Order: sequence, then structure tokens, then C-alpha cells
Amino acid sequence: MAWLVVRLAISMSLLYTASAVFEDQVGKFDWRQQFIGKVRFALFDTHSQASKKLLLATDKNVFASLNSRTGDLFWRHVDKTGPEGHIDALLMYGQDAVVVVGNGRLLRSWETTVGGLKWETVLDTGSFQAAALVGVQDFVKYVAVLKKSAISLHDLSSGSEIWVENLPDSDSVQYQTIYSGGNGLVLVLGVVPNSHIVIVEYKIEDGEIMNKKSVEAAWMSSLESSCAVVSSGILLCVDQITQSLYTLPLQSAEQTEMRQIHLQTLDLEVVSGFRPVLTSTQPNPAQPPLSEFFLQLSPDHHILLQFKDGLIAPLRDFNPAYLAAFATSGERTVAAVMSPKNDTACSINLFSADTGRRHLDTTIIYHMDPNGGKPNRLYVHAFLKKDDSVGYRVMVQTEDLALTFLQQPGRVVWMREEALADVVTMEMVDLPFTGTQAELEGEFGKKADGLLPMVLKRLSSQFILLQAWLAHLWKLFYDARKPRSSVKNEVTIDVLSRDEFNLQKMMLMVTASGKLFGIDSKSGTILWKQYLENIQPNSVFKLIVQRTTAHFPHPPQCTLLIKNKDTGLGSLYVFNPIFGKKSQISVPALPRPILQTLLLPVIDQDYAKVLLLIDDQYKVTAFPSTKNVLQQLQDTASSIFFYLVDSSQGKLSGFRLRKDLSTELIWEVVIPTEVQKIVAVKGKRANEHVHSQGRVMGDRSVLYKYLNPNLLAVITESTDTHQERSFVGIILIDGVTGRIVHEAVQRKARGPVHFVHSENWVVYVYWNSKFRRNEFSVLELFEGAELYNSTVFSSLDRPHPPQVLQQSYIFPAPINTLEATLTEKGITSRHLLVGLPSGNILSLPKLFLDPRRPEMVSEQSREENLIPYAPEMPIREEWFINYNQTVSRVRGIYTAPSGLESTCLVVAYGLDIYQSRVFPSKQFDVLKDDYDYILISSVLFGLFFATMISKRLAEVKLLNRAWR
Amino acid sequence: MRQMKRLLDVYVALQALFALSWCFTDADPGPAVGSQSNGERFKIEGRAIVPGVKTQDWVSTARILVEGEEYVGFVKTDGSFAVNDVPSGSYVVEIVSPSFRFDPVRVDITSKGKMRARLVNYIKTSEVLRQPYPLQIRSSGPHTYFMKRETWGWTDFLMNPMVMMMVLPLLIIVLLPKVVNTNDPEMRKEMEQSMNMLNPNPELPDVSEFMTKLFSKGSSKAGGGNKGSRSVALKRR
Repeated sequence: MAWLVVRLAISMSLLYTASAVFEDQVGKFDWRQQFIGKVRFALFDTHSQASKKLLLATDKNVFASLNSRTGDLFWRHVDKTGPEGHIDALLMYGQDAVVVVGNGRLLRSWETTVGGLKWETVLDTGSFQAAALVGVQDFVKYVAVLKKSAISLHDLSSGSEIWVENLPDSDSVQYQTIYSGGNGLVLVLGVVPNSHIVIVEYKIEDGEIMNKKSVEAAWMSSLESSCAVVSSGILLCVDQITQSLYTLPLQSAEQTEMRQIHLQTLDLEVVSGFRPVLTSTQPNPAQPPLSEFFLQLSPDHHILLQFKDGLIAPLRDFNPAYLAAFATSGERTVAAVMSPKNDTACSINLFSADTGRRHLDTTIIYHMDPNGGKPNRLYVHAFLKKDDSVGYRVMVQTEDLALTFLQQPGRVVWMREEALADVVTMEMVDLPFTGTQAELEGEFGKKADGLLPMVLKRLSSQFILLQAWLAHLWKLFYDARKPRSSVKNEVTIDVLSRDEFNLQKMMLMVTASGKLFGIDSKSGTILWKQYLENIQPNSVFKLIVQRTTAHFPHPPQCTLLIKNKDTGLGSLYVFNPIFGKKSQISVPALPRPILQTLLLPVIDQDYAKVLLLIDDQYKVTAFPSTKNVLQQLQDTASSIFFYLVDSSQGKLSGFRLRKDLSTELIWEVVIPTEVQKIVAVKGKRANEHVHSQGRVMGDRSVLYKYLNPNLLAVITESTDTHQERSFVGIILIDGVTGRIVHEAVQRKARGPVHFVHSENWVVYVYWNSKFRRNEFSVLELFEGAELYNSTVFSSLDRPHPPQVLQQSYIFPAPINTLEATLTEKGITSRHLLVGLPSGNILSLPKLFLDPRRPEMVSEQSREENLIPYAPEMPIREEWFINYNQTVSRVRGIYTAPSGLESTCLVVAYGLDIYQSRVFPSKQFDVLKDDYDYILISSVLFGLFFATMISKRLAEVKLLNRAWR
Repeated sequence: MRQMKRLLDVYVALQALFALSWCFTDADPGPAVGSQSNGERFKIEGRAIVPGVKTQDWVSTARILVEGEEYVGFVKTDGSFAVNDVPSGSYVVEIVSPSFRFDPVRVDITSKGKMRARLVNYIKTSEVLRQPYPLQIRSSGPHTYFMKRETWGWTDFLMNPMVMMMVLPLLIIVLLPKVVNTNDPEMRKEMEQSMNMLNPNPELPDVSEFMTKLFSKGSSKAGGGNKGSRSVALKRR
């Protein structure tokens, strides 16, 4: 019975708190963009001429099929992160794509039209070396996988293992490549560095070793990077030290030595310090490779060579040329070469592979993005035109992970910014006012100069507004007349301006590759992008908004702190967040590793907030550091505190700023690292507002919240990972005084811990290793029935410790990330946004995470709207704010307030990016989407006419009565 | 937290009985230890079924997640799946698809590779309600992501009990005078009498008088009735 009451109460409360999506709101204010990551392998489906498929395997362990006409995803499979999902090789034959995953652990075959798995085989352990398709008599039937010490052959249609053989002398020989020319043999090539090459021949049918030989090659260290097989089984190697090419027929019994051909005899020379690269092509795995190949001699010098009758002849020299690639369509193989045209553009031309002759009218001009990186990969899709000539399209990948698909004569068919698959941090910035808006706002800022001029000014600004409105109406009318397709809502920076409710903002996204993006939050259009070169791959970024758009005419200003994870050395990049332009402001040099940054509410004369950078000697650098700022800092130094975390020593320490910008240690808390380690420390968000100071209880008394802005939540995990002894700890510590406000330990629990710290509560999630489930725990801090000092909060003067309430709940799903909604004034009730591994984002009312939820329902608790305690947290599909627009591998959720109190902007990022709005207390401040104007107006008119008619009737009646 | 623990204690006591009835070697804390002791890896197999939908329409978006994203598997074109390289332990296996809903299943693997599947129960974590293994996971239909809009229809409005309660007396009021001749003075007297009998307190404003007055006036209340119902509509918005 009690259970039933609980259920009923829950379902009742759901009626009030549900913030769900309605079906007609789909795509109205939300959008999703899907990404795949940095392309490692790309194959065009050349199986049929009309095919639009482009198969891609990326470093994010994603295997995807793209529509090559539009750049949209057909399907995408996201594997496990880390080395176990790493894609080692991608091979394609007909409709099937064979993928080797997890360092040669799994062999998968995908049906590329449907996107479903055809078969999957587990291979023996051993580090993966190479994989190749093997054909017999013009027909590809097998796939061979070479491991460090074994080779296995699998059937292409079922995945079943035909045979597996151990490689001879695999301890000393490094086997690196497989070659099969379609003659019933599989050749495995290995090398003993600086000694000799080993060639082992296997029979396809049963894996019997047919032949084994070794060839002297004292100069060779690795096969993979410097060798290629050309023509009918000729191994070709290049060595930069001896400046020569070496050839060896793999299957001839006579020749037991590699033949050396000096590059000088071909009038060629390798640039010193550059490792030359050989590229050959084998259009059909059942046939030997072509005898033509590319030799790259320097970063921008390629040469097309031909091997014929034991001789090497140059076909064409491409100097300069950045990139070169082969492509085959039908029986014809072509080579595409990208060469620089001028500073901003490259031209791509097509050459026939067998002669080196240029195909006429095949130039594609590729314009390089001045804010982007250099092109580094070229993928060519060749096809036969109706007149039997070869046409082609190319996909260019640049250093900044942009994929551009071009067709003749240089039209960009589509473009993908794959850097966005790895967003590290982001911010949302308000858009600037338009001229008219600024005019109107400016009116209030100026000093009054008499009554009449004020009235005139007001009239003139109203007139300007009227004009703008009329222009807008005219545009609407004009657009409505045009056919729908021709009206394009192009979003550019110039037309961007703040909307009336500030719902449209600029999203600044920082990606791991060092590319910055400015994205319009309404449409998802990339408005600007900036590639920062020379970013170390292991950098950490911190984005700081120093000046918002509110200080016209000063441009908004953002600062990106880029810090090298190993050395700790940082640098600052200052830019304008609306236009993406680098600011001309001189930035301080940071010679020492940076430990902590601090954005102060102190502003300089140009309204930029002051950023303090603390280095490893506890010296403080201010940015900007004008005289004005330094003066202000001196005045307020005694009230500027900051904290440092050293998780390796388990030390938390608090510092105070001195007048000379040095610091003094105030407090220190040591958490012994033998027992537990600090995992994360979080304060509260600076832009958070708390509207109500307390909660009204059932008996009309007020329970005041403990709103300490300096409170830090420190999460620790035990170093002992045994499930009986592991624990998760939380310490609430005052960042100014170092006083530990509260401490709690969750036994038999382990991380990963996700937590949110806001207002007077902390919500954290951990894994209960005893019961194998995720649990939510909520801590709420209250001052009690009376406030100690209601006017101002001071950490130094708080004699009474807060009352702490805690409750835990079972969460019936794994969790990827956790964040809380944020609104302008903090009146709207809060929701927690939970990113789930399924890709859904759950909007969970904070009401469910209330430590005051009673076990027994009482009159008072009902009056307070408290839901009776239930151990399991409900998950309802209606609470998934992103319905079927799932976000793969959601890593972070960013929330920002909008101009409407009811609305919170949400961006979830991971592999995909999803932007939406949530209304935790429904849209109480605007008319709802489904507001029925027709009904209201019809009722009004109905009432109006009814009164008219009844009035008339009453008159007639009165008249009649008078006559009676 | 405390009350939850108490609840759990009760559950633990309860399911001790369950554990006895199942002579399965997997004790509650056992598997995780097993995973550390030997490196043997196992395979979770099963089949996903969406009734009435062709497999090729949903397999490309579906994934098998074992314990979050710890182990990942994909669905074959015939709906079957296998997750490889899973060490012994207890896992929640879930098929995630943006369009169809599948219920999660808990799979226990002993250190010897013995498998069983059971219903996921996060409260009574060791209660065993067996599921078939290899897994047979049947979709319980498409996801219901969206809330229904409250639509406004005439039928909804008319079937509303409040409206019914208002409309019926109205009909009586309008129709009764037509049936009964109110102009007949005898009849009127009779009615007044009956009304007075019904009304126990004569001090109260007399309803009958008001009504008879209304009856005698004939019919100009079509508008009035209309008005009433409309104001109800207004309230409802």
C-alpha cells in the first residue's frame, strides 16, 4: 500500500516537473552535428559507377560510410575507445568492407549497403602487422592477417579461418608485410634490421611453406616505410643514406642479392634529412601491382617512375608537388597530383599512370583556407565518363582535420570539420547589438540634457525602429513571393545580432587539434574558424571570457590559455569571440609553468576582467597589467585568495595575494596519498544566481541555505582498488580559510565520480562495487532556521557549522557526464542533465535529489511538495531532451542562461555536438508553442456577439412588456 | 543514505533464500575477483528481435553496450550479436538503438566461463529471475520520446463531467416548461408546494421562486447557456 502511495506521489509530481519535448518541436530550436574524427583510412566504393559510398575509418575508432555527394553519414559505427577499438586496417572488396580491430584482435566484415555486421572473428593475440586481400585466379576469396609471429588466412564470405601458421624465427625476424599477386601464393616479408630480408612463401590452400629465403640487406632497418612491391612481384626499396633504389624479384630463385640502382643515374637526389617514400598501387588484389610508382624525394617533390625489364625509367617529374595519389576506375589507373599554384591555392591535375601524360581539362583548383592548415592527405575517386574518359573527384584532408570534397573545376561539394569531434572546452558569448539596438540602449546610458532633446531623441530612435520593422516586413513579403528553395537563410557574422530574448549566442569551441570555432547556436553554422599551429598534441586548454559584448564600443575579448601538459609552460592567445580575429593586445610572456588561473571581478579601464596567472614559484602575473589594474590589485590584494591542488602529493593549499603581487600561504590540507588520492576539485560557477535564500517548510518556518561562494568540493578515491576496501570520499572545504566544512565517505564504492556543485548542494555519482550499480548521492547544506549574517557572507566570520543533509539513490543506468541547468536569475527550478552512454541526455529534476525526501508521507512534507523517498531513481524516455538525436560518447555538457528566465541553453559535446534548450519549469514566461490563438479569439468574438444579440433581445422584450 | 542501507539489508536477508534455491556458483562479490585472477576472456552471445521491422532498417544504428561502454558489440545483419573479449564477472548488457527500446539483461560469467542471464534488478541485486541464454532480447516497441500535446476538441469538451453537469440541468430547465404547462395556476401552486417541501429552511433564498420566475419568462437563455459553457472553456485554457 505504501509503495502504491509512493508510486502515485511520484507520478503526481511528474506532472508538474516534466520538461519534455513535444513532437512538433523537433528541430525547431535544436540541432545535432555528427562527426567521425581524423581519417586514417578512406576508400571509395568503385564497385559500381553510381555508388555514392565513401568508407572511412578514423582515429576515434569510428567506422563510417559517407554519402560522397553530400558529405552526410549513411551510417556510423562507434567502437570502444582506446586501443581495444583501434582500427588497424581497412580493406574493401565489392560490397564488403573488412576491418581489423584492436591490434589484430578482431576481424570484422561489414555489409556496406545496410551498415550491418556480416561476420566477426576473434584472432589469436599478437601484435598486428599487416592485412591483405588474397585472390586466386582473378577472384578475391580470402583475407590474410599477419601478426608478429603468425599468419592466418580467412574466408572472405564467412570469416572462417582457413589456416593459421606460425612464422619461422619470429623472435629475430620482424615480419612486416604481406604480398599476394594472385598466383596461389602468399608471401610474407620480414626483416632483420641491418642484416637481411626474409621472404616466406605460403600455399593458399593449406598454408604449407613452399619456399623460404633470405637476402642480404645490411642497410635496411624497416620494410614498411621504405619498400613497396611493384610490377609482377618486384620488391623495391629506397635508402636515403646510399641514395639508391634496390630491386629484388621476390619469386626468382636465381637472384639472391638486391640489385642497387643509384638515384644519381636517374638524376635524382633525396633531400637530406627526409625519408623518401615509395607508393605503388595494386588495383586488383588478385593481380600483381602496376609497374608504375611514386617516389617522394622531399616534402614537395614527387616523381612518377616506371619499372620495366629490370630498369627504372622516370615518367614524369612533379616538382613542386605536395601530394600524389593513385586511383583506378575499371581498367584504367590514373594519378592525381596536387601542386601549389599560388600562396592561397593549389591545383590538382590528373595524369595517366602508365604514360605520365596529363589528361586535358582535369584541373581542380583547391583554395586553401588562410585560417586553416596545410593539406596532408589526398584521396581520389576516379570514374569513367560516358565518353570513356576518366573523370575524378578528390577529398583533401588538411592538418586541421578538415575534409574537403572537390569536383571539377574546383567546386567544393562538401566540407566537414572533423576537428569538432574532439571538443575540449567551450563557452557561449552573447551576440552584439545591431546599430539600431545599440542606439536605443545608448539613450539610457547618456546623461540627461533637457526635456525636449530627450523627447526628440526618443522619437527619432522609435522612428528608426519603425523603419527597421517596416524593412523587415517588406523583406518577409518579398521572400514569401519567391519559391521556397531559392530563399536561403545564409547566416553570416554581419547579420548576426542579439535576438529579443538572447536565445541565440555564439558558441566558442576549442578542439584538441588546436582549431578554434565560432558557431552560431541557433543554426549550428560555423561562422569562423582559426587553426592555431604548433599546438602540442598533449596540451590542455582553458577558455576565459574577459570582456563580454556588453561594453560597446570595446570589442569582446576572450583569452585562451594553452598549457603543455608535460612542461606546464603556457601561452596566451587573445581573440575577439565574435569575429575570431586575433587581438593586437600584447600578452605577457610566461616563462614559468602555470599552476592556476583566476578571473577576478576587477575590471580595468577598458572593462576587461583581470586574469591572474600563478606560476610554480607562487608569483602572480596579471593580464591585463596596466597601471590602473595594478593599483586596483594593490587596494584589494588582502581580499584576494586562491587555492592550489597538488594531487600527486595530496596537498590542497590556500594563498593570499600580497600588495607586491607575491603570495603568502594561508592554509594547507594534506590528504595522505597512501590512502586516497584527489580526483577532482570543483567550486561553484561564477555566473550562477541563487534566487531564494531559504526554503519554506511545511510549518511555515524557513530553512536557510548555506550559500558559501568560496566552498570547494574535493572528491577523493581510495588507492586500494579492492572492491571490499575501496571507497569514495567527498570533502567540502572553504577555499579562503581552509576549514573543512563537511566530510563524507562512501564505502565499497569506486569511481569514476561525476559531480555537480551548485547553490547549497553537491550531487555526485559513484559506482557501488558491492551491488554493482551506480548511485547518486546528494549533500545539501543549510544554515538552519536563522541566518547568521543575512547581508553579506564572509568565510572568516561564520561561527556555526552548517547542517548537512544527505541521501542516496540508485541510478539504473551508467553515466558519462553530469551537469546542472543554469538560468538567468535562478528562479526556475533546477534540473540535472545526465549524459548516458546510449547517447541520450536525461533531464532529471533536482526535486528527485532532495535529501529531505521523507520516508513516511506527512501533512507537512506534502505541503512542501516533497516526493516520498524511493531508492530507485526513475528514468523516463520523455525526459530525454535529445529524443533520437543521440550524442555519441558524450563527454561534456555546457549550460548557459538565456535572456528568458525559463530557458536554459544546453550544448552536449562528445563525438557529436547537440545544441538545444531546456525549460525546467516549462515556459512560464512566454506563450507556449501550442497557444491556441484561434480558440481564444473565437471565444472572445463569440462572447462579444452573444452579448450583442442578447442585448438586442432584451431590448425587444422590454419593449414587448411595455406594450403589454 | 541510512534508510537505503536499511532497506538493502532487508533485501539481502530476503534474497539469501533465493540464493539457496539456485545452486549457481556465482556468489555476489565473486566475479570481480575472478576477472583479476585469470585473464581468460569470454563471449556474450545473443539475438535482438524487433517484431515487425526488417533487420536492415535498424541494425546500422544499434549497438550492444556491456556495462556502459566498457565492452562494445555490433549487431549482425540477421539480428544476432556477440561481444568478444569479456572477462568473467557480472555485467548489464544493453542494446541501444535510437529508435527501439530494449530491456537490459544482466549476464553473469563465472571464472570457468559458465554463463547465465537474468533480469536486471538494481534493488535486489542478487535476485535471480532467469532469462534465456544465449540472450533473446525482444524490443518492446519504439521509444516514446515525446509528450502528447493537450489538444482541444469539441468531443473532449462536451464529455467533460463539469460540462455535462451544466448542460443537463440546462436542458431540463429549457424543456420542462414546454412539457408542463406552467401557466396553469393549479399546477404552479402544486409545484411551489413541492418545492417548499424540499427546501427545509425557509430562511434561505427561495430557489423555486427564482426558478418559476424564470420559467414564466419563456426562453431567452439560449445565450445564457452558451455563455456558461464558454466561460468553462475559458477556465480550461
